[in-house]
Amino acid sequence: MRVLGGWWLAVVRRWADYKTEAWVQWCPGCGDFGILAAIHRALAELDIDPRRLVVVGGIGCSSRSVYYVRGSNVHVIHGRSIPVASGVKLANPELEVVVVGGDGDILGIGGGHFTALGRRNIDLTILLFDNSVYGLTKGQAGPTLPVGVKTKALPYPNVQDRVNPLILAYASGYTFIARGYAYHVNQLKDLIKAAIEHRGSAFIDILQPCPTYNDTMTREWYEERIYYLNEEDPLWDPRIRGPEDHVKIPRIVEKMLEFGDRIPLGILYQDLTKTTLEDRFEQQMPGYRKAPPALRPISVNGRAPVHPFKVFKDKLIET
Amino acid sequence: MVDLSFIIGGPQGGGVESAGQIALKAFVVKGYNVLGTREYHSNIMGAHSYYHVRVRDGPARALKIPVDLVVAIDAESVLTHISDVGKGGYLVYDLDSVDVDATKIASMEPSLRSRLRRFFADMNMKPTVGSAVKVLEERGGRTVGLPLKDMLKKVSDTLGTPIASIAKTVNVIGLTAGLYTQGVSLQHIVKAVEAQFGRRPKILAPNITAARVAFEFMEQNIGNIPELPDGPHRGRVRMIASGNEVVAMAKVVGGLTFETFYPITPASDEAFYIEENKYVELGELSEKLELDKIPIAVLQTEDEIAAINMAIGAAAAGARAATSTSGPGFSLMNEAISMAVEMEIPVVITLWMRAGPSTGIATRTGQQDLLHAIFSGHGDTPKILIASGDHVEAFYDAIKAFNWAEEFQTPVVHLLDKYIASTITVLDEWDLDPHKVSISRGLRIENPPEDYRRYEVTDNGISPFAPLGSAPMLFSSLEHDEHGFASEDPVDREAMVEKRLRKFETIARSIPEEEKIALHGDPSARVTIVSFGSTKQAILSAMEELEREGVRVKFLQLRILSPFPSKAVMDAVGDPGLLISVEANAIGQLALLLRAYTGIEVKHFIQKLNARPLYDVEVVYGVKRILGEGARRVVVSGGA
Repeated sequence: MRVLGGWWLAVVRRWADYKTEAWVQWCPGCGDFGILAAIHRALAELDIDPRRLVVVGGIGCSSRSVYYVRGSNVHVIHGRSIPVASGVKLANPELEVVVVGGDGDILGIGGGHFTALGRRNIDLTILLFDNSVYGLTKGQAGPTLPVGVKTKALPYPNVQDRVNPLILAYASGYTFIARGYAYHVNQLKDLIKAAIEHRGSAFIDILQPCPTYNDTMTREWYEERIYYLNEEDPLWDPRIRGPEDHVKIPRIVEKMLEFGDRIPLGILYQDLTKTTLEDRFEQQMPGYRKAPPALRPISVNGRAPVHPFKVFKDKLIET
Repeated sequence: MVDLSFIIGGPQGGGVESAGQIALKAFVVKGYNVLGTREYHSNIMGAHSYYHVRVRDGPARALKIPVDLVVAIDAESVLTHISDVGKGGYLVYDLDSVDVDATKIASMEPSLRSRLRRFFADMNMKPTVGSAVKVLEERGGRTVGLPLKDMLKKVSDTLGTPIASIAKTVNVIGLTAGLYTQGVSLQHIVKAVEAQFGRRPKILAPNITAARVAFEFMEQNIGNIPELPDGPHRGRVRMIASGNEVVAMAKVVGGLTFETFYPITPASDEAFYIEENKYVELGELSEKLELDKIPIAVLQTEDEIAAINMAIGAAAAGARAATSTSGPGFSLMNEAISMAVEMEIPVVITLWMRAGPSTGIATRTGQQDLLHAIFSGHGDTPKILIASGDHVEAFYDAIKAFNWAEEFQTPVVHLLDKYIASTITVLDEWDLDPHKVSISRGLRIENPPEDYRRYEVTDNGISPFAPLGSAPMLFSSLEHDEHGFASEDPVDREAMVEKRLRKFETIARSIPEEEKIALHGDPSARVTIVSFGSTKQAILSAMEELEREGVRVKFLQLRILSPFPSKAVMDAVGDPGLLISVEANAIGQLALLLRAYTGIEVKHFIQKLNARPLYDVEVVYGVKRILGEGARRVVVSGGA
């Protein structure tokens, strides 16, 4: 519960408060609906002010979520949601920034940015709507479609193999890595909450059937394979709190690699020891959070605050 | 009148740049104006590089060849610059290098080796340093051979340190000997060396010893040379800075809060200097914020695509954001520039042109990206483009670019090039007065209403700007309605296209005419030179010479190239007598724009295509050939 200025009544937000007036234009039965519901519920339970929420999406069915979540949102070009979101967050670290997009957008055309974000550990949440196909362009193979699979839109079986998003995220330096399933709204909601609350770059690979174009990795296909790590092993604890927890890494990586007859869900890895880029900025430049790039004044009475001769003294010379 | 030019050449990594900067400082301390640029290969160590300097008591506008002095730290420099030494000019070289044969210099470009072989073969000579020295002497040049090995030994004996540890001082030895020939006193050289290395005492001591050893050698072997008189600019504090640095300074004092970059020559040095100064005291602003130092977020990104997209994100959140790059990086930014137009994002792209196409010559200059920059991005993507002609313009333009970006919520391309980037000049306090331009952020609202319309349709096309995080809103790169919701509705579509068009017309109307073009010289002159960017000072310098020879020329310098200032240009050209376009590109890009936007056809060209800076003598030569022979296209080819 929050009081927002004098003109706004104190309210507890409900998930419906995060809906917008836009028509949700996904195909009937699309996994995106489940993910959207989980996002709405997670935001409500965290009581995030829609004005302080920035959802950034690229191009693809799932990226359209920016129109379906009430927030201060940005819909960008294909593959560039991560750099745009990074710019938003670094300019105003007080904002809650969430990236939405498909495997084509985030791991295909945007793959370079995906890995770079891990190195930075900016406090962002990346929700990957992973359906292994390019839906909007009628079903071409996505970067997570296994080799040899022939979905109905493909004239021949896929000749390129799948990337493992979890291992890629781990190698890149993400400090929160999880996998969810689109139709398990409740469990997914909890994962999204944990990802948003995590300080650092958080990544959730959300398995999502595409009923229109992916006739191989269907709801049935997934549901025969998925299981929750913490249900199978109640002692499952993927959190790294210090060097003593590094012994957990081989098991974590083993679980990240598991993708076939069985597919694990849940939080696979969370490193609580690493600083964020925002922390590193603040450390190098105390005052960064107090006077962030987006909000600080830049002039004095509409003029530059100082003459360059007063600042760049290393370039001065007396004649 | 003092008007002195010289070249210091040597291997990359051999201290040529330091030597050049020391020389500049020596003359500035002495009271002169200076201009110096570095020409170098895309290489870390070993390839030939040189520093080219001009010293004047009046404005040092442009570089000049031939020069009064070549200091050649190695054999390759002697052979490369032999024809740059003017009548009565000096060559300072290493005596131990006389037997070095051009065909044996691995780092030398094979084409230059062949040219040298032919040049000397015509005179029945071997292409050696010794031959070059002989030829030069026959032509009336003066040569000074330095026993560099012995001199280094003397430096090492004086300091009691091994030769290897002071071997790098050869640049200062060569430079001091060269400056001696021009009558610069030891005291001034020492002062300049101190200004260069003052903060690094371990380097300073051997270099001062090196200067003394060289000066003593010259006194004993060359004899007395009358001391250069003091120049007119003494008794004040001045600044010596490169174009990269001046733009960085403008950004820092002009309100930059967020800068991204991906390393690329010749843009990176700007970002490095911002990074060096990303946490500095900013006068009254520091007081206002109660922070001793004010942070600027500077980030090296994974590529130029991320650089521009990150800047766009930061700008949408309300930051004064910029990125800087060169042609190849700008190519990668195209799609995001188109997005910035569609999303109406205030972002500045500082574009430092270099010689293309493709990777071309990464470390050399050119003006080939004008059309690319203006028409960058798919779709109808009008944007502002301002081209700076020199360091002083670059300073104010960088601040204005920010203002326009925010006032009109549009990408602004600030166009510069490698020549300005790496050219160092001397500036006075009044040259860089940031109070000459205001800082304005346009129609910005911090507390927007709950039903804020990001793309509200207005008469002038400008919608109030509220930063992300201040209300529920939508920035959209899809065509959208007033709220920012994606819309394919034909009426919405047309309304938004028209809105953006009206905004562009507002831009054209709002920028004062006098900021769009500059008309130099006698407006009634029948001959008009048209140009843009860094050719400015070479042209102005050439006009001084042409005037002395009785040739009246005016110069129309295009400052804003988008929106194209058609009316201002037509008024300035008036009755088009003889028009000459001066450009460092092959297809005459400025002339094409002139034809497209005004119907004026340029029929004469002076073009520089060898990726070296334009020299004033070349403009004089080109104008005379056009006036004398009616030449259509004169390609000028100076520079090593």
